Amino acid sequence: MTLAVPPTVPDPSVRSAVCRLSQEFPELRPRSIVLVVRTCREELRGSPTDALPELVERLARQRLRVSLG
Amino acid sequence: MGYVDVSAVRHTLSDGRVLLDDVSFRIGEGARAALVGENGAGKTTLLRIISGDLAAEAGSIARTGGLGVMRQFIGSVRDDTTVQRMLVDLAPPAVREAWHAVEAAELAMMETDDEPTQMAYANALAHWGDVGGYDIEVTWDTVTVAALGVPYDRCKYRELNTLSGGEQKRLALECLLRGPDEVLLLDEPDNYLDVPGKRWLEERLLDTRKTVLFVSHDRELLARVADRVVTVEGGTAWVHGGGFVSYHAARTARHERLAELRRRWDEEHQRLIDLVRTLQQQAANSPDMANRYHAMQTRLAKFEAAGPPPERPPEQKVSMRLRGGRTGVRAVIVEQLELTGLMQPFDLEIFYGDRVGVLGANGAGKSHFLRLLAGQSVAHTGDWRLGARVVPGFFAQTHAHPEWQDRTPVDLLWHGEPGRPGVDRGRAMAALRRYGLAEAGEQPFRTMSGGQQARFQILLLELSGATLLLLDEPTDNLDVLSAEALEEALDAFDGTVLAVTHDRWFARSFDRFVVFGADGRVYESGEPVFDEARVQRAR
Repeated sequence: MTLAVPPTVPDPSVRSAVCRLSQEFPELRPRSIVLVVRTCREELRGSPTDALPELVERLARQRLRVSLG
Repeated sequence: MGYVDVSAVRHTLSDGRVLLDDVSFRIGEGARAALVGENGAGKTTLLRIISGDLAAEAGSIARTGGLGVMRQFIGSVRDDTTVQRMLVDLAPPAVREAWHAVEAAELAMMETDDEPTQMAYANALAHWGDVGGYDIEVTWDTVTVAALGVPYDRCKYRELNTLSGGEQKRLALECLLRGPDEVLLLDEPDNYLDVPGKRWLEERLLDTRKTVLFVSHDRELLARVADRVVTVEGGTAWVHGGGFVSYHAARTARHERLAELRRRWDEEHQRLIDLVRTLQQQAANSPDMANRYHAMQTRLAKFEAAGPPPERPPEQKVSMRLRGGRTGVRAVIVEQLELTGLMQPFDLEIFYGDRVGVLGANGAGKSHFLRLLAGQSVAHTGDWRLGARVVPGFFAQTHAHPEWQDRTPVDLLWHGEPGRPGVDRGRAMAALRRYGLAEAGEQPFRTMSGGQQARFQILLLELSGATLLLLDEPTDNLDVLSAEALEEALDAFDGTVLAVTHDRWFARSFDRFVVFGADGRVYESGEPVFDEARVQRAR
């Protein structure tokens, strides 16, 4: 099976965002949350490392909210 | 390393007067050049043209290596500018633009938290990183620790108006000297610095490998730091390739050479005119002489078209006549005086004719002491009194007269004030002329330069008939020539002088020194003491 998004090397920004967003959106499957977070992480490649956790989490939260309507 | 090359620059004032014409010089790699000239000669305008703030009417500026500029107003910032804002303004243009983009993106996110806005914010941060913004923030941290003793994060939102003038200057200087720009333009970098601060500045300028062009009126700083002197005078500029020590002789020699060249040109001009007239008469009688007459006419026309050499620049005439008068032998008596919270009680006797330098740490109460002797309300304990016939005259730092700001010098002289009778317009204008202030006579005080304001205050002292001069940093804004005129005037003054000063050159003309220590002790010294530490206050 081909993944829609290439796997991101696990980094603190992905881990912390998945952890918090899983608690924030219990109605969504963890796999969906991981996919959204990894996509956001890839799109934000090139952003300053120290700012990544906040940027990834904000963007992923925004997309998850939109997907829930 | 960088350099600055100024070529045939011309600038005309809005009233049509040519301020600068055919200004050409080069400040090579690693040079430390002083830019000197009278108040109003065009030094700051030239710096603004070099920095690109002002477009030259003609000519060009070439430079490499990135340009860092410290403007004159730093040190007197009274608005709500923050430390962060000032550091950003001193950063290279790419960093400035990136910072503004991050700030705009942050503001946009506060209003709209959608995906495009977040991506724009991420892009702005990435750009901030790309232009070296994070590295610059590390430098800023070093800068604030060095200048203010606190990390950048703890002071970045602090307003500059909560810092002293010296702290503002130190912050900007640390930033520029540690920054990436290879060419620095510093407009009066030593203003507001105490003597340890000036010594620190001298060492840093001597150590730096950057190319520096600086304006200063501090003769000690000029003598120690400058390896060449660019003089703005007579509407143009010239360069003395040596230090300040040999500058006066070089300037005198140049003026004499210009006068000699002009005299020779005038003589040759007159000779050619006389020849043309003679040949004209001869040609009328002898057709053979007509050709010689026309040839001579052509030669005269070419000579006149080439024009005369530049005139010797007019000397600024500042004539201060501080007269004073005989007073009681004891001019000032101080017994167990303590200015509340500033110092330990001290005794002091100052005698008629004494020249007393009041030195010491910033914030130790020197200016308050002078204000007390001038009769102003200053909280204190202990006793003080002035001797018989002692009339105090007080020279305050130039920003200390808010009530004068919208009045003109002529108006202030005409109306007088308690202790100083008014004078008629003719006498007022004559006095203003002696101080080189005739052209500024009708303009509001607030629009006068610092040097003009300082000279005007000295004129008021002259007219007040003071026999005890209380001078608070009188040379701070004076150009070199005016400072020397003040020294001559004080030398001839028949009375007593107390002066707070950080001007080491000026202080050498005093014979007693009262030192206000950082530990609150007030003591007398036979030699100037300039290394008292700064008074520590809670931050």
